[in-house]
Amino acid sequence: METNPAFSKYMDQYFDYLGHWDSPSKCGLKLIKRKDGKTLAIATEIYRQNPGTPVTEVVAPLATQILKTNSEKPDNFIFIEHTPDLRSKLTFYGETFDRLEFDWNGEYFSNPVWTRLSKDEVNRMMEG
Amino acid sequence: MKFKLIYPRWEKLEGQTIFNLPPHGPVVMAAEVPEDVEIDFTDENVEALVIDDSADLVGISMMLTTQVKRGWEIADQYRALGLKVIFGGISTMLHAEETMLHADSIFLGEVEGRLDQVFADFRKNDLKKIYNFISKPPDMSLIGPANRDILKKDLYYHKGFRMVDLFHASRGCIYDCYPCAVRYLGGRGFRPRPIDRVVEELSQMDNNRLFIVDNSLALDTKWEMELFKAMIPLKKKWVSHTIEDKNEVLDLAAQAGAWYVYQAVFDTSDYIRNRIKQYHDYGIAVEGTILLGLDNQTEDDIKRLVDFLLEIDLDLAEFTVLAPFPHTKAYSDLLKQNRIFDKDWNHYNAGKVVYYPKHMSPDKLTELFHYAWDTFYKEEPQTMKMFNLINRVMSRELSDGTFTPRRRDLANVSFGKKVTDVI
Repeated sequence: METNPAFSKYMDQYFDYLGHWDSPSKCGLKLIKRKDGKTLAIATEIYRQNPGTPVTEVVAPLATQILKTNSEKPDNFIFIEHTPDLRSKLTFYGETFDRLEFDWNGEYFSNPVWTRLSKDEVNRMMEG
Repeated sequence: MKFKLIYPRWEKLEGQTIFNLPPHGPVVMAAEVPEDVEIDFTDENVEALVIDDSADLVGISMMLTTQVKRGWEIADQYRALGLKVIFGGISTMLHAEETMLHADSIFLGEVEGRLDQVFADFRKNDLKKIYNFISKPPDMSLIGPANRDILKKDLYYHKGFRMVDLFHASRGCIYDCYPCAVRYLGGRGFRPRPIDRVVEELSQMDNNRLFIVDNSLALDTKWEMELFKAMIPLKKKWVSHTIEDKNEVLDLAAQAGAWYVYQAVFDTSDYIRNRIKQYHDYGIAVEGTILLGLDNQTEDDIKRLVDFLLEIDLDLAEFTVLAPFPHTKAYSDLLKQNRIFDKDWNHYNAGKVVYYPKHMSPDKLTELFHYAWDTFYKEEPQTMKMFNLINRVMSRELSDGTFTPRRRDLANVSFGKKVTDVI
């Protein structure tokens, strides 16, 4: 995906990425420029609409790709993984938000660590 | 050229009746091996493997996560002898990066139309490190009859009774079920085989009893009903995973020889109760598959679930504890929460607890796993319930003329080994 020059404050889009073994994959992506100048990225797992690898399984390379596509700096980049509520009879498909922390080696992210967030916390983070 | 094809052994669940079924992956793969290649197949679950340098190329086919460590060990020994080793199969895909450390080559994806190139590369001493066909499924009409001639069929008898043969009519799945990796393995689309190709293969099979291993037959009603209609004249008797609970589908399934189905039982609802009853109304038995240790289960929930299973008159029940296999949502969720404490793949047998359950300790879940097995089979042991199912299928076979008596010459043999308690 090319960098979107129109992105100034807020953008929603589908984001294409390569999953395991180069399988074409897709997620929802919300980008928000916060008041403090940082960019908040929320990658949403879209389940059946994603033909390839889930966000969780490739979260570090995916975050790297989103960072580079949008010409962001790692220090100014906050990444959240989102799974939507599928309204399933089973309890495993409720809505969740997790903030990711990574190691950065100058080229790419690695060693993801997830921390669960409430919806209110996410709303506050969107403000910055 | 000689191709040594191996299906590694794995440790079976403690205390459970052992049935070794003829494996499916190797026979599907063997159908695509070039005709001038001689295949020597060993299923380590029923016979000893002799490792020597008599083959030109070694293939290791792995289905289960509990096979991978043994598969890697075998590969290391062959490679020490100077032979090249290629891996394929479901758990090669699940554990691809680790498997590459023990392989000259790994094959990812489905084999139809692809193996001529692999063997040609080998002959040119140009075997590729990875053959990656993930996300490139073949034309379903290319899937021909599996090559079951590679099997030593006498090894798949228990006291004279022949085990079911495995068969598949479709690949892929539209769902994203919590413990399942089919989305990764077979893609997110449901891909049924053309009915005429399915019938062609079924007609060639000399075993009247089958296990249709498709993830679910209930994903395309029209195709499912056409399949069952086409199967009626073949008079096969079969086991499968879920089929649809529409009356017209169940009626056709029963006519097509549905013997029993696996039904996931995840709660004590009327939905489950009615579904089991509906199968029974059509003469189709039900083996419940019950996954223990999910985040919505407390100790009381599990005990109530076991009571419920006895109440709804399930024909068989299979209890497993959640095993977070790679490339499943279960794995992703537990990984995110840092709850997986055991990464020894030999322990991923669905009988050992490898993660921290939400509402109990790992030891408590292990205790409840044994409680479930013991309680469900207390009044009538598993072997007796299985015997009842065998009786039912035999009487149907006797009535439609497809019954084959058990092999007297194998009456004191179980999966290739002599036994003394002859029945």
